[in-house]
Amino acid sequence: MECYSEQTCALAVDGELAPDEAQRLRDHLSTCQRCRALVDALRAENRVLSESLNELPEEAAIPAGFSPMRWSWGWGDLAILAAVLALGSVISGWFNELDVPAGLEWFNPFSVNGRTNLIFHFFDYFAHGGTAMLADYAAVVGWICLLLLLGGSAMLLGRRGRPHYPGLRLLIVLLGLSLPSFALERRHGDFVTVAANETVDDSLVAAANVVRVDGVINGDLLTFGRTVEVRGTVKGDLISFAQRTEVSGTVEGHIYTVSRTLDMEGQLGHSIYGAVQSLHIDDRGRVGNGIVVAVGDASLEGEVKRSVNIVTSGSTDVSGSIGRDLTMIGRSLALTNTARVGGNLSARVRQLNEVHIADGATIGGKRDIQVRVRESSFTRPRFYFHQAVWLAGVILVGWIGMLLFPGFFRATTQLVGSGWLSLGLGIGILAGAPVAMVVIAITLVGFPLSLMLLALYLAAIYLAKIWVGAFLGRILLKPSGATKSDWLLGLLVGLLILTIVGFIPYLGGLVRLGVVCLGLGAFGGQLYRASRPVMTT
Amino acid sequence: MDAKRNMAKEPQPHESGSGQMEGMDLESVIECARGHDAGALGEIYRRYVRRVFGLCRYMLDSRESAEDATSEVFLKLQRFIESYDRSIPFPSWLLRVAGNQCIDTLRRRQRGRRVIVEVDDGAAAIDAPSSEPSPLGAVISKEERAKVRDAIARLPDNYRVPLVLRYYSELSYDEIAQQLDLERNHVAALIFRAKQELRRRLPHRSK
Repeated sequence: MECYSEQTCALAVDGELAPDEAQRLRDHLSTCQRCRALVDALRAENRVLSESLNELPEEAAIPAGFSPMRWSWGWGDLAILAAVLALGSVISGWFNELDVPAGLEWFNPFSVNGRTNLIFHFFDYFAHGGTAMLADYAAVVGWICLLLLLGGSAMLLGRRGRPHYPGLRLLIVLLGLSLPSFALERRHGDFVTVAANETVDDSLVAAANVVRVDGVINGDLLTFGRTVEVRGTVKGDLISFAQRTEVSGTVEGHIYTVSRTLDMEGQLGHSIYGAVQSLHIDDRGRVGNGIVVAVGDASLEGEVKRSVNIVTSGSTDVSGSIGRDLTMIGRSLALTNTARVGGNLSARVRQLNEVHIADGATIGGKRDIQVRVRESSFTRPRFYFHQAVWLAGVILVGWIGMLLFPGFFRATTQLVGSGWLSLGLGIGILAGAPVAMVVIAITLVGFPLSLMLLALYLAAIYLAKIWVGAFLGRILLKPSGATKSDWLLGLLVGLLILTIVGFIPYLGGLVRLGVVCLGLGAFGGQLYRASRPVMTT
Repeated sequence: MDAKRNMAKEPQPHESGSGQMEGMDLESVIECARGHDAGALGEIYRRYVRRVFGLCRYMLDSRESAEDATSEVFLKLQRFIESYDRSIPFPSWLLRVAGNQCIDTLRRRQRGRRVIVEVDDGAAAIDAPSSEPSPLGAVISKEERAKVRDAIARLPDNYRVPLVLRYYSELSYDEIAQQLDLERNHVAALIFRAKQELRRRLPHRSK
């Protein structure tokens, strides 16, 4: 009988020969030594192949560069980070109880009043080269060092004995975080007042139709209301979200505000930062430091000790005194006879005849009036440079996100594809989240939690275009997205398209809104999905 | 999850890992994983990541691609484990998913073209009896196994992919044909040729 071919033998050895054929081969093998030797050799060869392949290469021994549950580790680490912050807050509360001499206050990085100021101060002084910069810098460094120290310990401890489920960890941390907020005094109702003879020893969080302070608040005043009136004294900062904010008393710290109108008739120790439609510094009003605001119209009749920086869509009228520079960008500027600017005056307006400087006005430094030519931004090379930098920034963020949370980013990108569902959810989140944050800040677990939510919300709005861009790129380039580089390429293409479309008048704005909603929706959906396995266990 | 705790009564010593799931038998772990239990999915990952990564590493050209593909496989697992019907052993099913993932990756890289092209001269030419077959030797040392792996890694996709699917994933010719969208006899021819090519590249193991 004729011998079998090598391939037939190979098929037989692989167990891939039809049964009758295999039987015939076996019969043949019993008589043919040559074929038997061949089959044995092929069998040995298969064994070599299997053994060689199954003995994985060295590099496969440590597949540690990735994890399928990276989101869950991400959550875990986020939880630790939050725990550190929580601990920081708790300690800060305790630290605050201590009687720190006023002269050493700069050394106290935990003063509730100062922490937010610190950041602003830092940049402000850095820009102006103030002498206090070093002190604040030391405080910032001290604060960071302490947090790092706490963080390090928490990481070490956490690796060993943290609860199994990341959701539980997060919950514990959030609860922990919210604890200090119980120390804050909260008031809400239709009409919240601090009576003239009343002193609030702590910071006050007030939400009401009308918030009126006639007495003294030793900490900060955080308000949400239609009308906020400070007639008494706020020793810390005034943070207000209101239709009308009116200060006729004294605020010793800063004013941070998002209001329709801000009337300043009283004394302010430091600066005003914010966005208001109408800013009015009365001739009785005094601002101890400077003003940095975006406004509709500004009228400065009182005294500002340092610089004023205004971006306005309308007019800026100055009849009071500004200690240092006045910098404005807007439609029109008017300085009356009584106006006094200690430093330079620089203004950028649309038309030169929109600038009225009375002869009696005093300007200590240089005058620099520039006319902003409304040329199309597309003709300027700087515009393209800025766009490129912006794009590079987004891509970088996308890349980092992809490195840290590849699973989450991929899945969120994919979820963008659920279209109307994502869009609807996104609109809900976009509109609902701020409401939820305000409610949480006032009534539920506390202010820190709502700040965390705010940070998450803003981050998600920024990241939204990344997910939508990556999704768009994926659709256009092919149904791909397996490797990081594919994903990034898709992101680049998608973002380019979104950016270009975003510049189309009217439609562009709608598209941008749509992108934010889609991205937010996908993010929310993915967060829900990611937390679901944890919840069901 | 009382059931889960009960099942975890007898934890076996293990070098590291995810707590109570370690000692559980595969069936129970899969059952928990089907309920989207993060711990169970983590355990499956821990048990099979090397095997899956190994396949991806053999099938794809870079460690990074293999890592990406592995991540993707375990991400898909979270979604698709419900569709696992126990008709084949779980490791085989998982490797099949991983194989598909790698093939998808290769296919995308070729912009949708077929990863494995059909052999031009078909099976007939190969079917000629070989007068001097010289398969790779029977028992080889660790270093030599590494050389074999190396040689496999250098094979063109055409040969490497079916070979790895056959001798690493242990798929049948039919299953490979299905995954690669090829005729069965072409798969046979490719595997046969792959081996011949390996023999050519590893001449010192002849005989």
